[in-house]
Order: sequence, then C-alpha cells, then structure tokens
Amino acid sequence: MTHQYNRRHALKLLAAGLTALALPKAAVLAASTATVKKPIPASGEPLPVIGLGTWRTFNVGSDPQLLAERARVVDAFFQHGGGLIDSSPMYGSAPDVIGYALKRLGKPDTLFSAEKVWSPAGGTTREQVGELARRWGVETFDLVQIHNLTDWREHLAALRELKAAGKIRYIGITTSHGRRHAEFEQVMASEEIDFAQLTYNITHREAERRLLPLARERGIAVIANRPYDGGNLIKGLKRRGKQVPQWAVEECGCKTWADFLLKFIVSHPAVHCAIPATTRVEHLNENMRAGHSPMPSAVCRERMARTIETL
Amino acid sequence: MSDWSSYRLQDLIPFTQEVYLRLLQRVSEDTWPLQIALLVLGLAAFALALAHRNRLALIFLAPAWICSGLVFHLQHYAELNWAAPYLGLAFLAQGVILSLLGLTGVGIDRQKSFGNLPALIGLSSVLIGVVAYPLIAPLAGFSWMQAESFGVHADPTALTTLGFCLVVLRRTALWLASIIPLSGALLSGLTLLALALPWASALLGMLGVILTALVWKTVASARGVSDGS
Ligand SMILES: NC(=O)c1ccc[n+]([C@@H]2O[C@H](COP(=O)([O-])OP(=O)(O)OC[C@H]3O[C@@H](n4cnc5c(N)ncnc54)[C@H](OP(=O)(O)O)[C@@H]3O)[C@@H](O)[C@H]2O)c1
Repeated sequence: MTHQYNRRHALKLLAAGLTALALPKAAVLAASTATVKKPIPASGEPLPVIGLGTWRTFNVGSDPQLLAERARVVDAFFQHGGGLIDSSPMYGSAPDVIGYALKRLGKPDTLFSAEKVWSPAGGTTREQVGELARRWGVETFDLVQIHNLTDWREHLAALRELKAAGKIRYIGITTSHGRRHAEFEQVMASEEIDFAQLTYNITHREAERRLLPLARERGIAVIANRPYDGGNLIKGLKRRGKQVPQWAVEECGCKTWADFLLKFIVSHPAVHCAIPATTRVEHLNENMRAGHSPMPSAVCRERMARTIETL
Repeated sequence: MSDWSSYRLQDLIPFTQEVYLRLLQRVSEDTWPLQIALLVLGLAAFALALAHRNRLALIFLAPAWICSGLVFHLQHYAELNWAAPYLGLAFLAQGVILSLLGLTGVGIDRQKSFGNLPALIGLSSVLIGVVAYPLIAPLAGFSWMQAESFGVHADPTALTTLGFCLVVLRRTALWLASIIPLSGALLSGLTLLALALPWASALLGMLGVILTALVWKTVASARGVSDGS
C-alpha cells in the first residue's frame, strides 16, 4: 500500500467518522446544496449518491479529441465532489480512458474507484485486478465487483484474499436488465459481500421486491446501474419537451428530468449510489445536481412513478 | 426473464455513434492520400474484370484487404471492439485467399457474357463499393473525412469484393471468397443499425441483394446455366 493510498484511506475513514457523528439514523437527506452522501454499511464511509458509469461512453480508444472531452467530464465530476467511477474490462478502452483522465487531473480524495472482474476466472482474478489497476494508474481499487456473476465462486475467493491483503477495500457483485435475480439473491443472502450493483430505475423496479430489502437486511450497499435505462428514459422525456410537473419542483426539489429520475432512485433507502454514464459535461452537471437535497419522500416517490407510468 | 431475450442490439455495441464516426475519420486522416491509389487499384481491377482477366483482377484485390485489415481493424478498431483483432486476421486471410485463387486459377468463371443477373449485380456492386460508397457519409451530412473508401475502410472493401466474386468466380470458390466479406459486412451493418447511422439499411439491403445473387449464381451453376460451365 502506498503512502498516498494510506493518506487517502485515512481521510476517507475520518470523513466517515465525522459523517456518522453528524448524521441522524436515516443518515442522509439533510437539506443542503451539497451532494448527499450515504454511509456504506460495511464501514460507515460516506459515498456521494451520484457516481459515473463508463459503458459505451468512455470507450474512445486513443482518439486525442475524445480523450480530452472525456477528461473534461471526469474533471466536472470531481468539481461536483463526485466519488464512484464504475468501469469494467468489458468496456473496451474505458479503463485506459479513466487512467488518462486521472493522470491529467490527479486523483482527488473523493475518488472511489470501482472495477470488475470478468470470466473466465481460471486463476486470473489477481491478474485481472492488477492489469486494471495499471490501466487506471492506481495502486489499488476501492471496490472490485464480479461482473454479471461470471465464475463468481472462484472470483469471490480470490477477491477475499485481495481484500484481506489490503489490495482492495470492498467486494461486490453485479447484474443488470433484471437478469439472474434468483442467483443474485442467493449470493447476497449467503456470501459476505459489501456491494451489489443492479438495474434499478423508475421504470424497472423489480429489485424493490426482494433484492433491495435483502440488501438492507444484510448490510450491503447498492449501486443502481442503467438509471436512465441506457439513455432512453431521459432522452425520451426531454424529446417530449414537457417541463417537470410543478408539484415535483415544490415537493421533491426536482427542477429537471435528470433530478426527477435520479432522485427517485437514490431516495430509495436501500440504494447508495446511481451511476449515470454520459459523454457531455452539461449532462454531467445536470446529473450531479440531482444528488443535492432535498430528496423525495416515500409518498412523493410513488407519485413520481405514477406520473411516468401515465406518460 | 431469459438472459438473451433481454439483450437489445445496442447492448452489444460497446461504443457510441460519435466514436464510430471519429474512427472513420481518423482512419481516413491516417491513410490519406492512400485512398486515391486504392481507388485507382479498384478501378483497374474493374477494368481487368471487364476484359475477362479474372485471375489478375482477384490478385489486384488482395492488397486492399491487407491494407484494410491492418489499418482499419488491427490499428484502429481493435482499440474499441474486442472482436476487431479477429476481424483483422480474417481480412488478412481474405487477402491470402484472393491471391491464391488468382494465382492458381481455381474456381475462375470463364464465361464471357455479363448479361446475367449475378454478373450485373456484381458489376454494380463493384462500382458502388469503389465510387459511390465514399459519397454516402458526405451526402448524409457528415464530413468528407468520414467518407469510407475501398481498401481502407472495411465495408466498401467487402462490398466491392463481393461484387467481383459474383463476376469472376464460381461454385465453391465463389463461396470461399465470399464468406469473409459477407459475414464482416453483415456484422458491420448490424453495428451501423445499432448506432443509428443512416446508411445501415443501405448496406444491409445491398448485402441482401448480393446474397440473393450468390444463391442465384450457385443454383444456375448447378443446373449448368449461364456460368460458362
Ligand atoms: N452488469 C453490469 O455491471 C452493468 C450493466 C449495465 C450498466 N452498468 C454500469 O452502469 C452505468 C450506467 O448504465 P448505462 O450507461 O448503460 O445507461 P444510463 O446511465 O442509464 O444511460 C446512459 C445514457 O444516458 C445519456 N444521458 C446521461 N445523462 C443525461 C442527461 N442529463 N440528459 C440526457 N441524456 C443523458 C447518455 O448520453 P450522453 O452521452 O448524450 O449524455 C447515455 O447515452 C454503465 O455506464 C456502467 O458503468 C453495469
């Protein structure tokens, strides 16, 4: 573990302690314009509720123009106090592009690096993590997840060893599009994991039935992927050209459709972070503002869901 | 929900339309003015085919596949798509296949007439691939540097070659030389479709016509009609 890492880690834990002291039991929705953070159940470390996904959007190869544009997106993300950046070896050059941005911008203390391991495991878990760390230009990852549960038993055993050795801080599993929920639930129920990443958004609420309650019960932090259903949701709403309903502005603090869709997700008590992906700084800015309080109440959330259903 | 039914075409393409257009552009910028030489090569091969110098026409096509395999797939596209290195190797193999067929004369169509449907579709595809394809992107409102050209970008290279195959080859050799361009262009067409690029349907439509012509020529060949057998 490097000196720099020790410092960053210590600062994070200190911040975690302060957050734990300062926050009431529900721990989150205080009124302020700063990004809301939720404590990771395994450690109490606060995590900003809006992160950054990189599927498709960050796979730009060595194109200098697009590399510079994506670095601007990451820069804006950090300016907003952004934390979690999620990538995968399946996202083409995305890990290299994050590495390029981090080299250019430096690594702020807020960075929460989240990667994934992929099949075939075949004894390659450590190698995969090491190779990804080289591509990001980091010593260690905050979180390593098993992508879509592939070879999860073997990966999990190896990730536990990496965690025990202090090479990674948290372990997670992922799924998306509502796939393999039964097996996902079984792993959540029976294995010691810190994070579960799954698809959850205003039109895909399947996770509410079993996975989200189970996550709360087991103390597992939840990352919501595909918050905009791959972009269709928000682009569809924006194309319609209608404003966010006035009650949502007044009661839920939703000025934009990005607010409406993302606040719905991160105000679920079991969800810790939503990770919209974007190629554009103006979209990033909009997404990050959705992480500011106030957040919608349970009643408000139901009204939001009904509104989308009727569109 | 079954795993596969939940995937859409878009879920399988790991980059955006913007990135693909930049790929086309960067490949053009890195190869310019090689496009001109390859255009001349393509037209020369067309002239050779018209003059029934079929073996030489095939040999003229080989460098286009080697160049496109190296520059488009291996040098650039491989950064974005895990499948591209395999496609690059397939392109190099296609260069070898065309050279071998040209050198050995195996499967060469000896008929002297172009008055049959497969040959007409073949000649038209060659002209579309070499001359018209580079105009598509600019006509669709994109920049000249995003124009795709024969011997550099994958799709016009495949389309042109399929056209030549229809004219100069027959039977097993016809399919042997068509399988890589056909599958490469089909994958590409689906990629364009997922990226919502306006010329996706034109490419897929062309492939449909070419496939029909390939089957037509094979059936006619089996019956001993109009293929010089
Ligand atoms: N199995 C897994 O582990 C798994 C599966 C799926 C996803 N994920 C993770 O989850 C992340 C998010 O999912 P996703 O990328 O599939 O879909 P998403 O975040 O729901 O949607 C991304 C799309 O939304 C658009 N967008 C973002 N912000 C916008 C705004 N404010 N206004 C208008 N459009 C906006 C982006 O286009 P612009 O570029 O134009 O902004 C982009 O095309 C992924 O990137 C990945 O990191 C993981």
